[in-house]
Amino acid sequence: MSRKIAFMLAAMVLLIMLALPVYAAPQIGQPAPDFTATDIDGNEFTLSEFKGKKVILEWTNHQCPFVVKHYGSGNMQATQKTATDKGVIWVSIVSSAEGNQGHVTPDEARTIMTEADAHPSAKILDPSGTIGHLYEASTTPHMFVIDEEGILAYAGAIDSKSSPNPATIEGATNYVLAALDDLEADRPVATAQTQPYGCGVKYSH
Amino acid sequence: MRFIRILLLMMFALMLFQGASAQEGDQESKPDQYVKIRVLPERNIVKPGDEILIGIEQSIYPQWHTYWRNPGDSGAEPRVEWDMPDGFAIGNIHWPTPHKIPYGPLMNFGYSDNAILLQKLTIPETLPDGPITLTATVEILVCKDICIPESGEYTITLNDKSIPPEDNSAYLAAAQAHLPVPVPWHASYEVDGQDVVLKVQSDNISFDSIKPEGFEFFPLEWGLIDNPTPSKTTLYQNEIVMAQGRGERSLNEIKATEIILAFTNSENQRQAVSFIASHTTSTQGTGFIGAKNLKPVASTSITKALLFALLGGLILNLMPCVFPVLSIKALSLAKSAEKDPGHAKLSGLAYTAGVMLSFIAIAAALIGLKSAGAGIGWGFQLQDPLVVAALAYLLFIIGLNLTGVFEIRGHFGNFGDKLTQGDGLAGSFFTGVLATLVATPCTAPFMAAAIGYALIQPAYVSLSIFAALGLGLALPYLALSFVPALQQILPKPGAWMNIFRQFLAFPMFASAMWLVWVLSQQTDSMGLLHILIGLVMLAFGFWLLNHSPKKKSARSLVQILAALTFLSAVFLLPFNSKENETPRIESLSLGETYSPEKLASVLLTDDPVFVEMTAAWCITCKVNHAVAIDIDSTRKLFTDKNIHYLVGDWTNYDEEITDFLNSYGRNGVPIYVYYGPRDIVTGKRTAPKLLPQVLTPSIVERELNKL
Repeated sequence: MSRKIAFMLAAMVLLIMLALPVYAAPQIGQPAPDFTATDIDGNEFTLSEFKGKKVILEWTNHQCPFVVKHYGSGNMQATQKTATDKGVIWVSIVSSAEGNQGHVTPDEARTIMTEADAHPSAKILDPSGTIGHLYEASTTPHMFVIDEEGILAYAGAIDSKSSPNPATIEGATNYVLAALDDLEADRPVATAQTQPYGCGVKYSH
Repeated sequence: MRFIRILLLMMFALMLFQGASAQEGDQESKPDQYVKIRVLPERNIVKPGDEILIGIEQSIYPQWHTYWRNPGDSGAEPRVEWDMPDGFAIGNIHWPTPHKIPYGPLMNFGYSDNAILLQKLTIPETLPDGPITLTATVEILVCKDICIPESGEYTITLNDKSIPPEDNSAYLAAAQAHLPVPVPWHASYEVDGQDVVLKVQSDNISFDSIKPEGFEFFPLEWGLIDNPTPSKTTLYQNEIVMAQGRGERSLNEIKATEIILAFTNSENQRQAVSFIASHTTSTQGTGFIGAKNLKPVASTSITKALLFALLGGLILNLMPCVFPVLSIKALSLAKSAEKDPGHAKLSGLAYTAGVMLSFIAIAAALIGLKSAGAGIGWGFQLQDPLVVAALAYLLFIIGLNLTGVFEIRGHFGNFGDKLTQGDGLAGSFFTGVLATLVATPCTAPFMAAAIGYALIQPAYVSLSIFAALGLGLALPYLALSFVPALQQILPKPGAWMNIFRQFLAFPMFASAMWLVWVLSQQTDSMGLLHILIGLVMLAFGFWLLNHSPKKKSARSLVQILAALTFLSAVFLLPFNSKENETPRIESLSLGETYSPEKLASVLLTDDPVFVEMTAAWCITCKVNHAVAIDIDSTRKLFTDKNIHYLVGDWTNYDEEITDFLNSYGRNGVPIYVYYGPRDIVTGKRTAPKLLPQVLTPSIVERELNKL
């Protein structure tokens, strides 16, 4: 009898734990929601595998003018290179639903990356919006920085100037690089949360 | 530079072209622009000094939308930059009431069909003849399923006789009528479980006749609410309560925000008001903008703080209220030490114990009061008119005693005879207590800031600092009692001492006078008159006692009369002082009165803000104000930089000001905080800057120009 109750309790706890990441919005200073995904090259991975390394999640949509602002100017690639050179895992995620702007096939995604000279550690297509909803990603770009312990350290905009005009990149504060610097210097991240700006993520309606 | 700008503009245009060509598959016939912009002056003929409205009219393609200042979950606010001749000034954008625009699981705040942004243009006093052109560069994001940034330059020409006069005043006035109406409603928000609850109160509006269905609220700050969740509205007689899912930001970061509240009125029209709402919590109101500045002091700086406290205590010996008591005590020592050096040492120790224990007792009482939740700081002893008046009495009585109006023949506390004779360890101890007591009005004005700092440290640090302060105060006398060589330096006692003693009454009277002046800032003219009468009564009473006749019956009568005058002096003390009396500071002609709401509302503007916290009894504050702030160059700087200048008066107890001080890790005045202007591009302010506690014009100028 008591064994039955224990089992039921365990099952309930397990269920709640499974359900939690789905319903809890990611919070700064809390563990980043875990997910399993297959990248465009067919490699399956789980976020928690990267424990011990910093991870950056970037929501993208190559046709969004704000994404074009940062890729057209080379700003995103430069940020990406600075990060990956330091051993940071960079995951680009496309949550555009089928039929919506920015939705691509793996081959198209590869072409876009080659043309833009982008080198993320992994690129994920998330047309169902599962990972997007998990992180409540709302814009492209929308950036998340996760520390070595798997704790969400930064969420928000790529930089401080919410204009689509690439001329504003010069003089803007790159929040992602600033967060990485803070993490490396073992300081608390000074700006841990900002209002993301850009096009809305093209989830299925 | 110009070339680079053109190049960037071309790149931008090219990008737009790419952006547009990316949707070639669209079935709709695409317009050149999804949002057509017109920049309309109220009129195109202006006179010097005029103020006219400029409308930036957006005609938005069907089903597409543009954004409000807070765009919601995605998007970006439009940007307008003006290129104008010198002397022209353009005001902030006035935004029409936004709409909620759902987009999939997201919610945006913005406009569809038509929207007119309004700006106020100020024409300079000197206006050249002939046409004037002003150019607005408008960058605007327009979205439907996809987003397209559009931009253009729009020119308006004023006073050009070759073009017909234009009058858009009726059109823009209509647009103005659609702006949210600023209202002085009292509003606050707090977290309630998964929701943020906004409470709005107004005494003169009945809300219960309005339909709750049409209520929508739009906070200017992002992340306060979960944008897509619908809000639940409950209307009461004079109160609106709205609950909506909580946003992703911690409310500690959002101390106040402007809120637009839209509703459907009884004529079925959409109407909106705007007001400032501030964050309330049930916990202590210590948090405010900059609360993170509060850090416990490091151990290295504790040593430094103790040294400074010791030095401060030493300096206290020279204060007009302390110096007379001590010098007499010191002179008496020379006499007694000759007879009995051992007794002199003991007397020195007793005095030191008296001083240090009094200081520790005050510190302990303060810490106790603070932990019990009383929002007090150093200088509190002068915030209560009763204490100020009592101290004025005390100093005045000491002064009377020194001049020889009376001598007390009692057990202790005879400042004249007993002190000069220097006998009795209890006497020495209580001289120490008295020295501390008379020193308190002097510590507040000069050391309020330093002691205030000590008080926000952990208890053991505060107590040590106060003990060091006491030791510093006692040190000269202690040294004197232990080192015979020092005693030799003192002049030989003699008849001159009596004259010197009388002379020392004048610093005492001066201190008492100063306290009466402080009191005059805290009470009305009647209260001031009461205290002055009280002082006369005291003098009269002591004079009576000193001249009591020999005959027993007559003596009793005189003593009763004296007792009555003393009693009347006590009754004249300001026992029931009015709290929160309106501050009366001379500097108010220059600045506006501080309140948290006022600060929150000026921080919402783009202009810089300067906050000064002062008190009538704070000498440092007065000197800083006179030397560095209320001078032509600083006043000009304030005007030139369009600085909002707020002054808070801490002369009387004020919890809101105490909260402000605490939020910057301070516990005393003065404090000067400068909030730099809002960055036009990012829409953010840099972190507020604390100015030093001793100001010079150049420090003010340097700090204000830095941001």
